[in-house]
Amino acid sequence: MMRHIKYLIFVYILIIIQTQVFQLLSINGITPDILTIWIVYVALTHGQLYATIWGFVAGLMFDLVMGNFIGLSALTKTVAGFTAGYFYEENKAPATLGSYRFLLLVLLVSIIHNTIYSIAFTRGSDLSVWEAFFNVGMATTFYTSALTLIPMFAFARKYTR
Amino acid sequence: MLKMQKLIQIIILFKEYFVLVLLVIVSLILLGSNDNTQVKAIRSYTVAFVGIFQDAISIVPNVFELKRDNEILRQLSVNLSDEVNRLREARLENIRLRAMLNMKERSEFKLVACDIVGKNLHLLRNTITINAGESDGVKIDMPIISETGLVGKVIATSNHHSVCQLLLNKDFRASAKIQRSRIDGIISWSGGETVQLKNVTKTQDVKEGDIVTTSEYSGIFPPNIKIGFVSKIVEVQGNLFKDICVTPGVDFPSLEQVFVIITAIDAERIELEQKILHPKK
Repeated sequence: MMRHIKYLIFVYILIIIQTQVFQLLSINGITPDILTIWIVYVALTHGQLYATIWGFVAGLMFDLVMGNFIGLSALTKTVAGFTAGYFYEENKAPATLGSYRFLLLVLLVSIIHNTIYSIAFTRGSDLSVWEAFFNVGMATTFYTSALTLIPMFAFARKYTR
Repeated sequence: MLKMQKLIQIIILFKEYFVLVLLVIVSLILLGSNDNTQVKAIRSYTVAFVGIFQDAISIVPNVFELKRDNEILRQLSVNLSDEVNRLREARLENIRLRAMLNMKERSEFKLVACDIVGKNLHLLRNTITINAGESDGVKIDMPIISETGLVGKVIATSNHHSVCQLLLNKDFRASAKIQRSRIDGIISWSGGETVQLKNVTKTQDVKEGDIVTTSEYSGIFPPNIKIGFVSKIVEVQGNLFKDICVTPGVDFPSLEQVFVIITAIDAERIELEQKILHPKK
Protein backbone atom coordinates (compact mmCIF):
# COMPACT_ATOMS: atom_id res chain seq x y z
CA MET A 1 0.00 0.00 0.00
CA MET A 2 2.78 2.34 0.97
CA ARG A 3 4.53 1.53 -2.27
CA HIS A 4 1.44 2.53 -4.19
CA ILE A 5 1.17 5.82 -2.36
CA LYS A 6 4.85 6.42 -3.00
CA TYR A 7 4.29 5.69 -6.69
CA LEU A 8 1.35 8.08 -6.77
CA ILE A 9 3.46 10.82 -5.25
CA PHE A 10 6.29 9.95 -7.62
CA VAL A 11 4.01 10.12 -10.64
CA TYR A 12 2.74 13.48 -9.48
CA ILE A 13 6.30 14.74 -9.20
CA LEU A 14 7.09 13.40 -12.67
CA ILE A 15 4.09 15.23 -14.08
CA ILE A 16 5.25 18.44 -12.47
CA ILE A 17 8.68 17.90 -13.99
CA GLN A 18 7.13 17.07 -17.35
CA THR A 19 4.92 20.12 -17.46
CA GLN A 20 7.09 22.66 -15.70
CA VAL A 21 10.76 21.75 -15.94
CA PHE A 22 10.79 20.12 -19.38
CA GLN A 23 9.32 23.27 -20.88
CA LEU A 24 12.77 24.68 -20.33
CA LEU A 25 14.26 21.85 -22.41
CA SER A 26 11.81 22.06 -25.28
CA ILE A 27 13.14 22.24 -28.82
CA ASN A 28 10.60 23.75 -31.20
CA GLY A 29 7.91 22.86 -28.67
CA ILE A 30 9.03 19.23 -28.50
CA THR A 31 9.66 17.85 -25.02
CA PRO A 32 10.75 14.38 -23.89
CA ASP A 33 8.13 12.15 -22.28
CA ILE A 34 9.41 11.21 -18.87
CA LEU A 35 6.25 9.33 -17.94
CA THR A 36 6.82 6.83 -20.76
CA ILE A 37 10.35 6.19 -19.51
CA TRP A 38 8.98 5.56 -16.03
CA ILE A 39 6.29 3.19 -17.34
CA VAL A 40 8.93 1.15 -19.20
CA TYR A 41 10.92 1.03 -15.99
CA VAL A 42 7.86 -0.24 -14.06
CA ALA A 43 7.20 -2.86 -16.76
CA LEU A 44 10.75 -4.18 -16.57
CA THR A 45 10.83 -4.28 -12.80
CA HIS A 46 7.25 -5.34 -11.93
CA GLY A 47 5.74 -6.97 -14.96
CA GLN A 48 3.02 -6.41 -17.50
CA LEU A 49 -0.01 -6.17 -15.20
CA TYR A 50 1.61 -3.60 -12.99
CA ALA A 51 2.85 -1.56 -15.93
CA THR A 52 -0.56 -1.59 -17.59
CA ILE A 53 -2.32 -0.36 -14.44
CA TRP A 54 0.31 2.27 -13.64
CA GLY A 55 0.35 3.37 -17.24
CA PHE A 56 -3.35 4.06 -16.96
CA VAL A 57 -3.01 5.84 -13.59
CA ALA A 58 -0.09 7.99 -14.74
CA GLY A 59 -1.82 8.84 -18.01
CA LEU A 60 -5.06 9.73 -16.28
CA MET A 61 -3.27 11.92 -13.74
CA PHE A 62 -1.46 13.67 -16.58
CA ASP A 63 -4.75 14.24 -18.40
CA LEU A 64 -6.37 15.62 -15.26
CA VAL A 65 -3.45 17.96 -14.63
CA MET A 66 -3.46 19.16 -18.23
CA GLY A 67 -7.26 19.36 -18.26
CA ASN A 68 -7.36 18.78 -22.00
CA PHE A 69 -8.47 15.69 -23.90
CA ILE A 70 -9.08 13.59 -20.80
CA GLY A 71 -8.56 9.89 -21.44
CA LEU A 72 -6.11 10.17 -24.35
CA SER A 73 -2.90 9.87 -22.28
CA ALA A 74 -4.61 7.25 -20.12
CA LEU A 75 -5.25 5.20 -23.25
CA THR A 76 -1.81 5.64 -24.82
CA LYS A 77 0.09 5.01 -21.61
CA THR A 78 -2.01 1.94 -20.79
CA VAL A 79 -1.06 0.49 -24.17
CA ALA A 80 2.55 1.58 -23.60
CA GLY A 81 2.67 -0.21 -20.24
CA PHE A 82 1.11 -3.33 -21.70
CA THR A 83 3.58 -3.38 -24.62
CA ALA A 84 6.58 -2.81 -22.41
CA GLY A 85 5.38 -5.58 -20.10
CA TYR A 86 6.04 -8.14 -22.80
CA PHE A 87 9.77 -7.63 -22.20
CA TYR A 88 9.59 -8.33 -18.50
CA GLU A 89 11.93 -11.09 -17.37
CA GLU A 90 12.13 -11.94 -13.70
CA ASN A 91 15.48 -11.12 -12.09
CA LYS A 92 16.79 -9.67 -15.32
CA ALA A 93 15.52 -6.15 -14.81
CA PRO A 94 18.88 -4.69 -13.58
CA ALA A 95 20.68 -6.08 -16.59
CA THR A 96 18.07 -4.75 -19.00
CA LEU A 97 17.79 -1.35 -17.37
CA GLY A 98 21.53 -0.83 -17.56
CA SER A 99 21.84 -1.84 -21.20
CA TYR A 100 20.91 -0.49 -24.62
CA ARG A 101 17.85 -2.78 -24.50
CA PHE A 102 16.23 -0.29 -22.13
CA LEU A 103 16.88 2.41 -24.71
CA LEU A 104 15.48 0.32 -27.55
CA LEU A 105 12.43 -0.61 -25.50
CA VAL A 106 11.72 3.03 -24.70
CA LEU A 107 12.10 3.77 -28.41
CA LEU A 108 9.63 1.02 -29.39
CA VAL A 109 7.09 1.86 -26.71
CA SER A 110 7.39 5.55 -27.47
CA ILE A 111 6.73 4.93 -31.17
CA ILE A 112 3.56 2.97 -30.34
CA HIS A 113 2.51 5.56 -27.78
CA ASN A 114 3.03 8.48 -30.15
CA THR A 115 1.41 6.73 -33.08
CA ILE A 116 -1.83 6.27 -31.14
CA TYR A 117 -1.54 9.78 -29.74
CA SER A 118 -0.99 11.31 -33.19
CA ILE A 119 -3.87 9.42 -34.76
CA ALA A 120 -6.28 10.49 -32.04
CA PHE A 121 -4.97 14.02 -31.69
CA THR A 122 -5.15 14.92 -35.38
CA ARG A 123 -8.76 13.74 -35.87
CA GLY A 124 -11.04 16.60 -36.78
CA SER A 125 -8.13 18.95 -37.44
CA ASP A 126 -6.39 20.11 -40.61
CA LEU A 127 -3.17 18.46 -39.48
CA SER A 128 -2.45 15.15 -41.23
CA VAL A 129 -1.54 12.04 -39.22
CA TRP A 130 1.79 11.64 -41.00
CA GLU A 131 2.70 15.24 -40.46
CA ALA A 132 1.83 14.97 -36.78
CA PHE A 133 3.59 11.66 -36.39
CA PHE A 134 6.84 12.63 -38.11
CA ASN A 135 7.05 16.23 -36.93
CA VAL A 136 5.85 15.75 -33.37
CA GLY A 137 5.54 12.03 -32.60
CA MET A 138 8.91 10.88 -33.92
CA ALA A 139 10.65 13.98 -32.60
CA THR A 140 9.25 13.29 -29.16
CA THR A 141 10.21 9.62 -29.51
CA PHE A 142 13.82 10.42 -30.28
CA TYR A 143 13.99 13.12 -27.67
CA THR A 144 12.57 10.70 -25.08
CA SER A 145 14.97 8.00 -26.16
CA ALA A 146 17.81 10.43 -25.87
CA LEU A 147 16.72 11.32 -22.37
CA THR A 148 16.60 7.59 -21.53
CA LEU A 149 20.37 7.54 -21.83
CA ILE A 150 20.59 9.27 -18.44
CA PRO A 151 18.73 6.63 -16.41
CA MET A 152 20.27 3.89 -18.55
CA PHE A 153 23.78 4.99 -17.62
CA ALA A 154 22.69 5.52 -14.06
CA PHE A 155 21.31 2.00 -13.84
CA ALA A 156 24.34 0.57 -15.60
CA ARG A 157 26.57 2.24 -13.11
CA LYS A 158 24.42 1.19 -10.16
CA TYR A 159 24.04 -2.47 -11.11
CA THR A 160 27.57 -3.10 -12.36
CA ARG A 161 29.19 -2.01 -9.14
CA MET B 1 -19.43 -24.22 -9.55
CA LEU B 2 -16.88 -26.00 -11.70
CA LYS B 3 -17.63 -23.64 -14.54
CA MET B 4 -17.14 -20.67 -12.21
CA GLN B 5 -13.77 -22.00 -11.12
CA LYS B 6 -12.75 -22.51 -14.73
CA LEU B 7 -13.81 -18.98 -15.55
CA ILE B 8 -11.76 -17.61 -12.63
CA GLN B 9 -8.78 -19.68 -13.79
CA ILE B 10 -9.10 -18.29 -17.29
CA ILE B 11 -9.33 -14.73 -15.93
CA ILE B 12 -6.24 -15.29 -13.76
CA LEU B 13 -4.38 -16.82 -16.69
CA PHE B 14 -5.16 -13.88 -18.97
CA LYS B 15 -5.40 -11.20 -16.31
CA GLU B 16 -3.07 -8.84 -18.18
CA TYR B 17 -5.36 -8.89 -21.21
CA PHE B 18 -8.50 -8.44 -19.14
CA VAL B 19 -6.95 -5.49 -17.34
CA LEU B 20 -5.81 -4.00 -20.64
CA VAL B 21 -9.27 -4.30 -22.18
CA LEU B 22 -10.90 -2.88 -19.08
CA LEU B 23 -8.53 0.10 -18.87
CA VAL B 24 -8.77 0.80 -22.60
CA ILE B 25 -12.57 0.81 -22.29
CA VAL B 26 -12.37 3.20 -19.33
CA SER B 27 -9.99 5.41 -21.31
CA LEU B 28 -12.32 5.42 -24.30
CA ILE B 29 -15.28 6.30 -22.09
CA LEU B 30 -13.26 9.16 -20.65
CA LEU B 31 -12.30 10.20 -24.17
CA GLY B 32 -15.96 10.11 -25.14
CA SER B 33 -16.80 12.51 -22.33
CA ASN B 34 -14.73 15.21 -24.03
CA ASP B 35 -16.42 17.61 -26.36
CA ASN B 36 -13.57 18.81 -28.55
CA THR B 37 -13.27 18.44 -32.31
CA GLN B 38 -10.96 15.41 -32.11
CA VAL B 39 -13.45 13.45 -30.03
CA LYS B 40 -16.31 14.46 -32.33
CA ALA B 41 -14.33 13.17 -35.31
CA ILE B 42 -13.44 9.93 -33.47
CA ARG B 43 -17.10 9.47 -32.58
CA SER B 44 -18.11 9.84 -36.21
CA TYR B 45 -15.43 7.32 -37.25
CA THR B 46 -16.65 4.94 -34.56
CA VAL B 47 -20.23 5.25 -35.72
CA ALA B 48 -19.14 4.62 -39.33
CA PHE B 49 -17.04 1.62 -38.27
CA VAL B 50 -19.83 0.14 -36.17
CA GLY B 51 -22.23 0.84 -39.05
CA ILE B 52 -20.08 -1.22 -41.43
CA PHE B 53 -20.15 -4.11 -38.96
CA GLN B 54 -23.88 -3.76 -38.41
CA ASP B 55 -24.43 -3.81 -42.17
CA ALA B 56 -22.37 -6.97 -42.48
CA ILE B 57 -24.05 -8.65 -39.52
CA SER B 58 -27.55 -7.66 -40.63
CA ILE B 59 -27.16 -10.02 -43.62
CA VAL B 60 -27.29 -12.93 -41.16
CA PRO B 61 -30.97 -13.43 -40.26
CA ASN B 62 -32.11 -13.72 -36.67
CA VAL B 63 -34.12 -16.96 -36.55
CA PHE B 64 -36.34 -15.84 -33.67
CA GLU B 65 -36.97 -12.47 -35.27
CA LEU B 66 -37.74 -14.17 -38.58
CA LYS B 67 -40.26 -16.46 -36.90
CA ARG B 68 -41.94 -13.51 -35.23
CA ASP B 69 -41.91 -11.50 -38.47
CA ASN B 70 -43.36 -14.49 -40.27
CA GLU B 71 -46.21 -14.77 -37.78
CA ILE B 72 -46.94 -11.05 -38.05
CA LEU B 73 -46.89 -11.21 -41.85
CA ARG B 74 -49.15 -14.26 -41.88
CA GLN B 75 -51.62 -12.49 -39.59
CA LEU B 76 -51.42 -9.42 -41.80
CA SER B 77 -51.99 -11.58 -44.87
CA VAL B 78 -55.13 -13.09 -43.33
CA ASN B 79 -56.41 -9.64 -42.37
CA LEU B 80 -55.70 -8.24 -45.82
CA SER B 81 -57.27 -11.22 -47.52
CA ASP B 82 -60.38 -10.70 -45.40
CA GLU B 83 -60.33 -7.00 -46.22
CA VAL B 84 -59.97 -7.73 -49.96
CA ASN B 85 -62.91 -10.15 -49.82
CA ARG B 86 -65.09 -7.63 -48.04
CA LEU B 87 -64.10 -4.88 -50.50
CA ARG B 88 -64.80 -7.18 -53.44
CA GLU B 89 -68.17 -8.01 -51.93
CA ALA B 90 -68.88 -4.32 -51.37
CA ARG B 91 -67.89 -3.52 -54.94
CA LEU B 92 -70.25 -6.15 -56.34
CA GLU B 93 -73.02 -5.00 -54.03
CA ASN B 94 -72.36 -1.44 -55.14
CA ILE B 95 -72.68 -2.47 -58.80
CA ARG B 96 -75.94 -4.31 -58.10
CA LEU B 97 -77.41 -1.51 -56.03
CA ARG B 98 -76.46 1.09 -58.64
CA ALA B 99 -78.19 -0.95 -61.33
CA MET B 100 -81.24 -1.31 -59.11
CA LEU B 101 -81.24 2.37 -58.24
CA ASN B 102 -80.99 3.24 -61.90
CA MET B 103 -83.91 0.93 -62.64
CA LYS B 104 -85.97 2.33 -59.78
CA GLU B 105 -85.46 5.84 -61.12
CA ARG B 106 -86.44 4.80 -64.64
CA SER B 107 -89.41 2.71 -63.64
CA GLU B 108 -92.94 4.09 -63.94
CA PHE B 109 -94.10 1.73 -61.17
CA LYS B 110 -93.90 2.05 -57.44
CA LEU B 111 -91.15 -0.37 -56.46
CA VAL B 112 -90.22 -1.87 -53.09
CA ALA B 113 -86.60 -2.95 -52.94
CA CYS B 114 -85.88 -6.04 -50.89
CA ASP B 115 -83.26 -8.71 -50.27
CA ILE B 116 -83.70 -12.38 -50.92
CA VAL B 117 -83.42 -14.09 -47.54
CA GLY B 118 -84.23 -17.62 -48.67
CA LYS B 119 -83.92 -19.57 -51.91
CA ASN B 120 -85.20 -22.90 -53.09
CA LEU B 121 -83.97 -23.48 -56.63
CA HIS B 122 -83.64 -27.24 -56.67
CA LEU B 123 -87.21 -28.42 -57.01
CA LEU B 124 -89.75 -28.01 -59.78
CA ARG B 125 -91.52 -25.47 -57.60
CA ASN B 126 -88.72 -22.96 -57.25
CA THR B 127 -89.42 -20.17 -54.77
CA ILE B 128 -87.60 -17.41 -52.96
CA THR B 129 -88.34 -15.62 -49.69
CA ILE B 130 -87.89 -11.87 -49.56
CA ASN B 131 -87.67 -9.52 -46.58
CA ALA B 132 -90.68 -7.37 -47.56
CA GLY B 133 -94.22 -8.15 -46.49
CA GLU B 134 -97.64 -6.74 -45.95
CA SER B 135 -96.25 -3.91 -43.79
CA ASP B 136 -94.38 -2.75 -46.91
CA GLY B 137 -97.52 -2.89 -49.04
CA VAL B 138 -96.72 -6.27 -50.59
CA LYS B 139 -99.73 -8.40 -51.54
CA ILE B 140 -100.29 -11.77 -53.19
CA ASP B 141 -99.85 -11.85 -57.01
CA MET B 142 -97.68 -8.75 -57.09
CA PRO B 143 -94.90 -9.08 -59.71
CA ILE B 144 -91.27 -9.45 -58.72
CA ILE B 145 -88.62 -8.04 -61.01
CA SER B 146 -84.90 -7.32 -61.02
CA GLU B 147 -82.84 -4.93 -63.11
CA THR B 148 -82.44 -7.70 -65.71
CA GLY B 149 -86.08 -8.75 -66.05
CA LEU B 150 -89.07 -10.62 -64.67
CA VAL B 151 -88.37 -12.79 -61.62
CA GLY B 152 -91.79 -14.10 -60.59
CA LYS B 153 -94.76 -13.17 -58.43
CA VAL B 154 -95.74 -13.14 -54.76
CA ILE B 155 -97.68 -16.23 -53.64
CA ALA B 156 -97.72 -15.81 -49.87
CA THR B 157 -97.17 -12.92 -47.47
CA SER B 158 -96.61 -12.25 -43.81
CA ASN B 159 -96.01 -8.93 -42.08
CA HIS B 160 -92.35 -8.65 -43.00
CA HIS B 161 -91.70 -11.48 -45.42
CA SER B 162 -93.14 -12.85 -48.65
CA VAL B 163 -92.70 -16.05 -50.63
CA CYS B 164 -92.39 -15.62 -54.37
CA GLN B 165 -93.00 -18.05 -57.17
CA LEU B 166 -90.20 -17.84 -59.71
CA LEU B 167 -90.39 -17.86 -63.47
CA LEU B 168 -88.70 -21.25 -63.18
CA ASN B 169 -91.68 -22.83 -61.42
CA LYS B 170 -93.90 -25.52 -62.80
CA ASP B 171 -97.04 -23.59 -61.77
CA PHE B 172 -95.93 -20.24 -63.16
CA ARG B 173 -97.73 -18.76 -66.17
CA ALA B 174 -97.49 -15.35 -67.76
CA SER B 175 -98.82 -13.73 -70.92
CA ALA B 176 -95.90 -12.77 -73.10
CA LYS B 177 -95.09 -11.36 -76.53
CA ILE B 178 -92.25 -11.13 -78.99
CA GLN B 179 -91.15 -7.50 -78.76
CA ARG B 180 -90.20 -7.21 -82.45
CA SER B 181 -93.22 -8.91 -84.12
CA ARG B 182 -95.83 -8.50 -81.33
CA ILE B 183 -96.64 -12.24 -81.44
CA ASP B 184 -98.40 -13.41 -78.25
CA GLY B 185 -97.90 -16.57 -76.25
CA ILE B 186 -97.86 -18.06 -72.77
CA ILE B 187 -94.67 -18.45 -70.78
CA SER B 188 -94.35 -21.62 -68.75
CA TRP B 189 -91.55 -23.81 -67.41
CA SER B 190 -91.08 -27.52 -67.42
CA GLY B 191 -87.55 -27.87 -66.08
CA GLY B 192 -84.11 -26.78 -67.27
CA GLU B 193 -82.57 -23.37 -67.55
CA THR B 194 -84.99 -22.01 -70.16
CA VAL B 195 -88.73 -21.30 -70.19
CA GLN B 196 -91.08 -22.03 -73.09
CA LEU B 197 -93.17 -19.61 -75.07
CA LYS B 198 -96.26 -21.64 -75.93
CA ASN B 199 -99.23 -21.22 -78.28
CA VAL B 200 -97.16 -19.73 -81.12
CA THR B 201 -98.11 -21.29 -84.45
CA LYS B 202 -95.57 -22.32 -87.07
CA THR B 203 -96.63 -19.52 -89.42
CA GLN B 204 -95.95 -16.73 -86.90
CA ASP B 205 -92.81 -14.61 -87.14
CA VAL B 206 -90.38 -15.55 -84.40
CA LYS B 207 -86.59 -15.56 -84.71
CA GLU B 208 -83.81 -16.61 -82.43
CA GLY B 209 -82.58 -13.62 -80.45
CA ASP B 210 -85.97 -11.94 -80.30
CA ILE B 211 -86.70 -10.23 -76.99
CA VAL B 212 -89.66 -11.61 -75.06
CA THR B 213 -91.60 -9.29 -72.74
CA THR B 214 -94.80 -9.43 -70.72
CA SER B 215 -97.87 -8.56 -72.74
CA GLU B 216 -100.82 -6.25 -72.12
CA TYR B 217 -103.16 -9.21 -71.64
CA SER B 218 -101.91 -10.18 -68.18
CA GLY B 219 -103.99 -9.20 -65.20
CA ILE B 220 -100.96 -9.59 -62.91
CA PHE B 221 -97.85 -8.41 -64.77
CA PRO B 222 -97.58 -4.94 -66.23
CA PRO B 223 -96.71 -4.95 -69.95
CA ASN B 224 -93.22 -4.65 -71.47
CA ILE B 225 -91.24 -6.18 -68.64
CA LYS B 226 -88.39 -8.12 -70.17
CA ILE B 227 -88.59 -11.88 -69.64
CA GLY B 228 -85.65 -12.98 -71.79
CA PHE B 229 -84.72 -13.75 -75.38
CA VAL B 230 -85.56 -16.53 -77.82
CA SER B 231 -82.64 -18.94 -77.72
CA LYS B 232 -84.01 -21.93 -79.66
CA ILE B 233 -86.91 -22.63 -82.05
CA VAL B 234 -87.92 -26.20 -82.89
CA GLU B 235 -90.66 -27.10 -85.37
CA VAL B 236 -91.94 -30.61 -84.73
CA GLN B 237 -93.58 -32.36 -87.67
CA GLY B 238 -97.33 -32.90 -87.17
CA ASN B 239 -97.52 -30.19 -84.54
CA LEU B 240 -99.30 -26.86 -85.15
CA PHE B 241 -97.15 -24.93 -82.73
CA LYS B 242 -93.47 -24.08 -82.52
CA ASP B 243 -91.39 -25.15 -79.52
CA ILE B 244 -89.77 -21.86 -78.52
CA CYS B 245 -87.14 -21.82 -75.79
CA VAL B 246 -86.64 -18.50 -74.01
CA THR B 247 -83.55 -17.88 -71.92
CA PRO B 248 -84.55 -15.72 -68.94
CA GLY B 249 -82.83 -12.38 -68.56
CA VAL B 250 -82.47 -13.02 -64.85
CA ASP B 251 -79.59 -15.14 -63.55
CA PHE B 252 -81.51 -16.89 -60.79
CA PRO B 253 -78.65 -18.62 -58.96
CA SER B 254 -76.84 -15.29 -58.40
CA LEU B 255 -79.95 -13.25 -57.65
CA GLU B 256 -79.69 -11.37 -54.32
CA GLN B 257 -81.90 -8.28 -54.52
CA VAL B 258 -85.28 -7.83 -56.19
CA PHE B 259 -88.13 -5.33 -56.46
CA VAL B 260 -91.79 -5.86 -55.78
CA ILE B 261 -93.99 -3.87 -58.15
CA ILE B 262 -96.74 -2.38 -56.01
CA THR B 263 -99.68 -2.57 -58.37
CA ALA B 264 -103.39 -2.29 -57.74
CA ILE B 265 -104.76 -5.64 -58.82
CA ASP B 266 -107.66 -5.21 -61.18
CA ALA B 267 -109.97 -7.42 -59.12
CA GLU B 268 -113.03 -6.66 -61.24
CA ARG B 269 -111.26 -7.81 -64.43
CA ILE B 270 -109.92 -10.99 -62.80
CA GLU B 271 -113.35 -11.81 -61.39
CA LEU B 272 -115.02 -11.35 -64.79
CA GLU B 273 -112.36 -13.48 -66.55
CA GLN B 274 -112.69 -16.23 -63.95
CA LYS B 275 -116.47 -16.11 -64.33
CA ILE B 276 -116.34 -16.63 -68.08
CA LEU B 277 -113.50 -19.22 -68.00
CA HIS B 278 -115.04 -21.21 -65.13
CA PRO B 279 -118.80 -20.58 -65.27
CA LYS B 280 -119.66 -23.29 -62.75
CA LYS B 281 -117.58 -21.69 -59.90
